[in-house]
Amino acid sequence: MKRKSKKVIEYTFLILLACIFIFPMIWMIASSMKSESSIYVDMGSIQSLLPSLDPSEWFQTYQELFSRFNVFQYIFNSLTYAIVVTLGSIVVNAMAGYAFSKFNFIGKKVLFGLLIALLIVPGETLIITQFTVAHDLGILNTRLAVILPMIANIFFIYLFRNFFNAIPDEIIESVKLDGANYWTIFWKILLPMSKPAIATVGTLSFILSWNDYLWPLMVLTDTEKFPLQVAITNINSTPPVYMNQVMAILTISTIPLIIVYIVAQKYLLQGLGGSGTGIK
Amino acid sequence: MKNINARENIAAYSFLLPALILLGLFLLLPALIAIYYAFTDYYLLTPDNTQFVGLDNFIAIFKDPIFIQSLKNVGLFVVCVIPVQIGSALGLALLINKQRRGNMFFKVAFFAPVVLSLVVISVLWLYLLNPSEGLINVILERVGINPQPFLTSPDQAMYTIVFVSAWQGAGYQMLIFLAGLQNIPSSVYEASKIDGANKWQNFIHITLPLLKPTSILIMITTLIAAFKLIIQPMVMTQGGPMNSTITPVYYIYQTGFTDRLIGYASTMTVVFGILIGIVTIIQSKVSREDDSK
Repeated sequence: MKRKSKKVIEYTFLILLACIFIFPMIWMIASSMKSESSIYVDMGSIQSLLPSLDPSEWFQTYQELFSRFNVFQYIFNSLTYAIVVTLGSIVVNAMAGYAFSKFNFIGKKVLFGLLIALLIVPGETLIITQFTVAHDLGILNTRLAVILPMIANIFFIYLFRNFFNAIPDEIIESVKLDGANYWTIFWKILLPMSKPAIATVGTLSFILSWNDYLWPLMVLTDTEKFPLQVAITNINSTPPVYMNQVMAILTISTIPLIIVYIVAQKYLLQGLGGSGTGIK
Repeated sequence: MKNINARENIAAYSFLLPALILLGLFLLLPALIAIYYAFTDYYLLTPDNTQFVGLDNFIAIFKDPIFIQSLKNVGLFVVCVIPVQIGSALGLALLINKQRRGNMFFKVAFFAPVVLSLVVISVLWLYLLNPSEGLINVILERVGINPQPFLTSPDQAMYTIVFVSAWQGAGYQMLIFLAGLQNIPSSVYEASKIDGANKWQNFIHITLPLLKPTSILIMITTLIAAFKLIIQPMVMTQGGPMNSTITPVYYIYQTGFTDRLIGYASTMTVVFGILIGIVTIIQSKVSREDDSK
């Protein structure tokens, strides 16, 4: 008897705790699937966590949102930025990791030490001079300005280097004897053997790029180049602001991440250093 | 000397080139330029009138009440968010590190906010915490608690941001702690059981010490990230009310980007960047020394 009541208390506590973590997301999705007035009517009742009782209203908000704003363009932009950054990041950082892992070259130790030292330079504090560099390069208000700074990442270079270190040199030496050049070794031998590292770097790059807000906000002026994150605050400050439409754009911008987290969940923990907290 | 030859050197540097160019342009160069601009009065709209002003900016920022306020604010944020977020993460990990029906559901639920971006959580909580018609105050009223001003009060705004940030980030660190917990062999606990240790003694003398490497890693990454707080105040409070949530990175953004005072903003970048660097180094030293004891 005592055991049973203990179990009930334990489960009640866990369920209450779970509610704190998930109710905002449920409210967000539910509110995007009902009319503006019913959000206020339902507020505080259990109905606030459910979509409209009339299924024909479920996607009405989305229709209104898509007719007011070019949401397809924002989705396309975010996808383009994230995919190009992901592919670029895998290739560029793997190449550098390969150089540090399998080559002897002049200045290797100095260069590697410099990179590790640069790891403690807090990138976000440099936004102003990063902006002046982008300005001097003449790439402001271009898609390139959003993509380029996101590609090279010291942490990812380090991750690839460690991964390649675990691949025995004998494998490389043997194909070298067969006449393969460095590029072939990298492309045909090392990369195909590095799927876990590629998956980790790819997943983290995609998430970092998808969630990037401050930098695109600074360098872009044309709304048609905005990624979703910037479009969210834009929609949230373009009168008239409808709460259900804001919740709809929040939901739309979250769906791809839900997919990524489900598909790539086993690779996320390997990227510990990538993002430590809610404050990314 | 190993067989270093010209061909290998050229090949190595060509593989490094793309990464070096990008890191050079968007990390090293901005850092160096910031140090240079810090000693000038560079104003983006009149670049030709730029002059060296020596240490003037450095003196000015420490007399700037908003910069001082921003340092205090981020200090408060760091001091609060680290125990709250890491403590919750550890607590959640301990709760679900157990065989029980429905455990997977709880794990997914605690992790769910991690999937939301910082902009999404900021906008979402802005609506939830609306003082007059937000869901949180409606619920509080139902259970007999007076409605709270939350983000609109200088006394509550930063604590609200601490809560929202910890709420979002705890689930990720919970998974890291969980991995650490599952690496502790059960034989250790069995041995201490024979010695007659209770659950609390187990936790203090076995679980916590064995989780130390995990905790240090989490602590350092959280600390660095917390210092760079900007999106939550930017979206939720615009630094207000009464500058109670302005942070150094946000103030650097306002002076450098909005007001175009590149020189002045660069000085704050240098000072604040060095500050973060020092804290990072101290923290990793302290935790390493602690480890070797």
